Amino acid sequence: MLLAPPALAGCSFGSSTKDPGPDPLIALAAAARADAALAAAVVAATPELADRLTPLRTARTDHATALDAEVARLAPGATPAPAPGTATPAGTPVTAAAVQAAVLASGKAASAAALTLPAERVGLVASVAACCATYAAVLA
Amino acid sequence: MSSPGNSSTIDPTAAAALQDALAAEHAALWVYSLILAFLPAAQLDRARADEEAHRVLRGAIEQTLTQIGTRPVSAQPAYATPKPVTDGASAAAVAVVAETDALAAWRSVVERTTDRGLRQAALTALTEGTLRCAQWRAVVNTPPAIPTFPGRP
Repeated sequence: MLLAPPALAGCSFGSSTKDPGPDPLIALAAAARADAALAAAVVAATPELADRLTPLRTARTDHATALDAEVARLAPGATPAPAPGTATPAGTPVTAAAVQAAVLASGKAASAAALTLPAERVGLVASVAACCATYAAVLA
Repeated sequence: MSSPGNSSTIDPTAAAALQDALAAEHAALWVYSLILAFLPAAQLDRARADEEAHRVLRGAIEQTLTQIGTRPVSAQPAYATPKPVTDGASAAAVAVVAETDALAAWRSVVERTTDRGLRQAALTALTEGTLRCAQWRAVVNTPPAIPTFPGRP
């Protein structure tokens, strides 16, 4: 049953004995920027895809902004995130299918992060995950 | 397997969030039963599938609450719609409202539990609900069809 109390009760959230590592939202913000840049590149190469991909580009840009703000909230004074670029990773095909694959992967990464984030940060990441998964579904 | 009360880490805060989600699911089911009479034939299959999805979620919440010893909230006899439902467009619009309310409730469950299984289930409900919401937003032509921050208050 979907919501049955899980057998994972022993799992605790976080650990004071472990190095927390970099803020996981930094990678999610970078993925959001990369997805937006890829969508922009695909639209530039294939303008007839603008109707399909422009909303995704806007959403991922907004995700990056919100995630950056949350990173900055916990680490004021840290190195500001790079400005949104238009370069796409070398080797990434500039196609709608590549955008779909990228946003699918971004959604999975956000979903995984959402399982362990503290309450005050998880809502944003959960929304990003749901949005990405839905774009991946409609573009598939 | 130990009893649910021992194995569950669904605390009272999470249970209250689940009750809110259950109330939203009750309302969504009421909405779908209402709008089936108004939607065009081409949208009936989708509406019935969406209704069934909410029925499954309602059942899952009720079972979970019962297992942790909490009495699930009941449905209201009727709900007020923001605008009267008189035709296909107004029917789709109230589906958007119901789905949007459910998204907010599920995001709140994600935020109000540290139980990993419940959080995963709520995230799945948020994700699947976002697609339902997007489809009805497309019907009523509310861009962007896919909400950018599903469930955000």
